[in-house]
Amino acid sequence: MVHALEEIHRLLKSDGRLIEIHPVLESPLIKVYRGNTVLFVEPYPGYDYEDDLRHAEDALMQVIQHRLFVIERSTEFDLITYASSVAELRDFWAKAGAYDDSPKDEEVEAREEELYARVEAFMHAAAGGAKVALHERARITRMNPNINPP
Amino acid sequence: MTVRVDPEHNETRALFDLADFSGQRVLEIGCGDGRLTWRYAGKAGHVIAIEPFADSIARARENMPEELKDRVEFHHIGFEDFAAKSETSTFDRVILSWSL
Repeated sequence: MVHALEEIHRLLKSDGRLIEIHPVLESPLIKVYRGNTVLFVEPYPGYDYEDDLRHAEDALMQVIQHRLFVIERSTEFDLITYASSVAELRDFWAKAGAYDDSPKDEEVEAREEELYARVEAFMHAAAGGAKVALHERARITRMNPNINPP
Repeated sequence: MTVRVDPEHNETRALFDLADFSGQRVLEIGCGDGRLTWRYAGKAGHVIAIEPFADSIARARENMPEELKDRVEFHHIGFEDFAAKSETSTFDRVILSWSL
């Protein structure tokens, strides 16, 4: 990751900027909405990329400490993905995450299945008009490539 | 209902709040299916968006809006390979999008 950031530094013009976006180190939430009202909310148990995120944050800190990049601004935002059914949301995530061929933790998978079943039952009970959403918090940072790193 | 990602445009607002893309030469690393690309590419001068996963880049190419075809290039390639054949000081903006 540090090497990738060094290469990005090389590809950027001296007055260019790196914009880095990654999820924060907290579990996303599964929510059920009707209109703007939240009917159900629970942490998503399939969150298993904490180690990857820590490595990414470590790599960023390393290049900042080495003054390869200087942080200019950083902020957080909520990225919410809505679907009309659990099946639709799962299908979407299966496609989006198809590149990840690492084995999934069986216990996490079981908890994920259990949550999805409950959300489905909840949506059924709520009758029409309910939608399911995955709510992720993310950090976005603008970095300036230091043209004279030590 | 199809799946809608960030219909509130929170990510787009945060992105535009941090960076000006007007006329800029942009490299987007890990563009996936182009979800974020469509949101800023209209302002950029030229966009090269790369993604190592074939299915995602195929969806991005398939969904490319007509008006962006002259300014967005999608490449099915990993960043290391892309960087190895790229010249120094080429881009005004690099977006590292959910992919570190």
